[in-house]
Amino acid sequence: MGTAKFWGVSFLVAAALLVLTRAFFANEYFFFAGYVVLQYIVLSTAWNILGGYTGYTNFGVGAFFAVGAYSSVVLHKLTSLPVPVMIVVGGLMSGILGFGMGYLTLRLKGVFFAIATLALAIVAQTFIVNWDYVGGSRGVYVIRPQQAPLYGSYIQYLFSLMLMLGWVSVAIARTIERSRLGLGFNAIRDDELAAEAGGVPTLRLKLISTTLSGALMGMAGAPLPYYVTYLDPASSFNLSYAVNSVAMPLIGGMTSWIGPVIGAVLLGTIQQLATVTISSALNLLIVGVLLIAFVIIAPNGIVGLVQARRRARLR
Amino acid sequence: MPPLLEVCGLGKRFGGFVALESIDLNVETGERLGLIGPNGSGKSTLVNCLCGALHHDSGNITFDGRPIDGLPSYRRTRLGLARSFQLPRPFRSLNLVDNLRIPLLYTVNARPGARLSDGAIGERCLALLDDVGLADKATRLPRDLTQVEMRKLELARAVASAPRLLFADEAMAGLSPSEVEEILVVLVRLNEQGITIVLIEHIMRAVMSFSTRLVVLVAGQKIADGAPQEAIRNPEVERAYLGE
Repeated sequence: MGTAKFWGVSFLVAAALLVLTRAFFANEYFFFAGYVVLQYIVLSTAWNILGGYTGYTNFGVGAFFAVGAYSSVVLHKLTSLPVPVMIVVGGLMSGILGFGMGYLTLRLKGVFFAIATLALAIVAQTFIVNWDYVGGSRGVYVIRPQQAPLYGSYIQYLFSLMLMLGWVSVAIARTIERSRLGLGFNAIRDDELAAEAGGVPTLRLKLISTTLSGALMGMAGAPLPYYVTYLDPASSFNLSYAVNSVAMPLIGGMTSWIGPVIGAVLLGTIQQLATVTISSALNLLIVGVLLIAFVIIAPNGIVGLVQARRRARLR
Repeated sequence: MPPLLEVCGLGKRFGGFVALESIDLNVETGERLGLIGPNGSGKSTLVNCLCGALHHDSGNITFDGRPIDGLPSYRRTRLGLARSFQLPRPFRSLNLVDNLRIPLLYTVNARPGARLSDGAIGERCLALLDDVGLADKATRLPRDLTQVEMRKLELARAVASAPRLLFADEAMAGLSPSEVEEILVVLVRLNEQGITIVLIEHIMRAVMSFSTRLVVLVAGQKIADGAPQEAIRNPEVERAYLGE
């Protein structure tokens, strides 16, 4: 399928989902739960652009996500912009953060890069904790507008926005995958020195990757204040965002755009079910158990499993 | 005509260790230059400095009449300076065609002038693989290749960037005599197609039959430069290789 066609088809899928959910989700709660799953589709797809395609592990997901969320808080206090504009601004802010992180840390490789991103998250959190205007460590209340801009409730509105964001990020990931850019990313992941010797401007490509990945994470975080209505650093910078965003592509498969989507839908849904039926504290345990299982059974994720099966059949 | 590559007083140190000391070297267009020296004499460091993987501390490098000191590696490749690695470094997750597609997309298509279409790139990849006898493995992954095939892929990838000067860094180390012969045939053919080649090699038989000129490095210094037969009879070279 060509890139343009994919954008079209995936848009139709997203639109169909939108209509179907409006028709069949009888309870508001489903929109709350669906929002989280969609948010993880965006986060894990964004993570995979840097982590899966380019081969740099980012544990600072929380920082990018929270910067998006807090930029919305600031905008909320200063202006009365519509949420889609806030999403764009949040993406810009996190994109800038991603660019900065890339420039400062991309000389580091492997585990050292991962540690640096973790440190970045802590630095960003410390900054927010000490910034009184956005509530500091005691957090901030964000009152939703009375009326949702489209018909339906406000949570349905946020759900629709996240659905569109999911569509955009998946389509971007797929576009990159099939492009010259994606091939360059893969070359960097496999062997940076050889990539450079093959004419790949590695620094520039890595900066594109960190910026894009960060921007999408920030966009996922931007509607968060309106979703939770109370935002505090401890929950918005939570490490579980990073753990989940890493685990989902790992479980789904990191080489293809569909991997993070599968991982996010699978893991996100299980977590939501567990939260309702058992306890929310169980979530990280589920992630841990699944990760161990997949590392042993299918180290290349579900997509890897399917590809290996297909290759074996061809021989 | 000025030399294709002109190296003047090149120096490189790692902490207190002097890896290269004031190397002067000219490579003429169309030449087949052999570069030899005992282990640790600085051959690979020299290649790394010339190709931009390392930055030299002193001296100047001029390629095709323009200074390239400080240019990043990828820019040098785009100017026409390619290398193969001592230990093959294929892109492990990409099949052979995609391995070659990287230099075609990022080097050949990044140069001014006509851009190749996707179809033309695909054909070119296959033609390049065919040149080194790997056409039937085009869609396989590098892990399916044997050692000699890996070396050929390494060469094909370097050649895919359509270089004017190719550094073949120990392209034959660890191969059997008949495999060495295979690689030599490929290298000579590339040279006949107009690519200047610098061969860094330990296997003397291969170097002597391939080179039109020989440069000998010992402990970071150039101690001989000339016709192969004369260079190896140089007393300093004999001392370095055979001892007192």
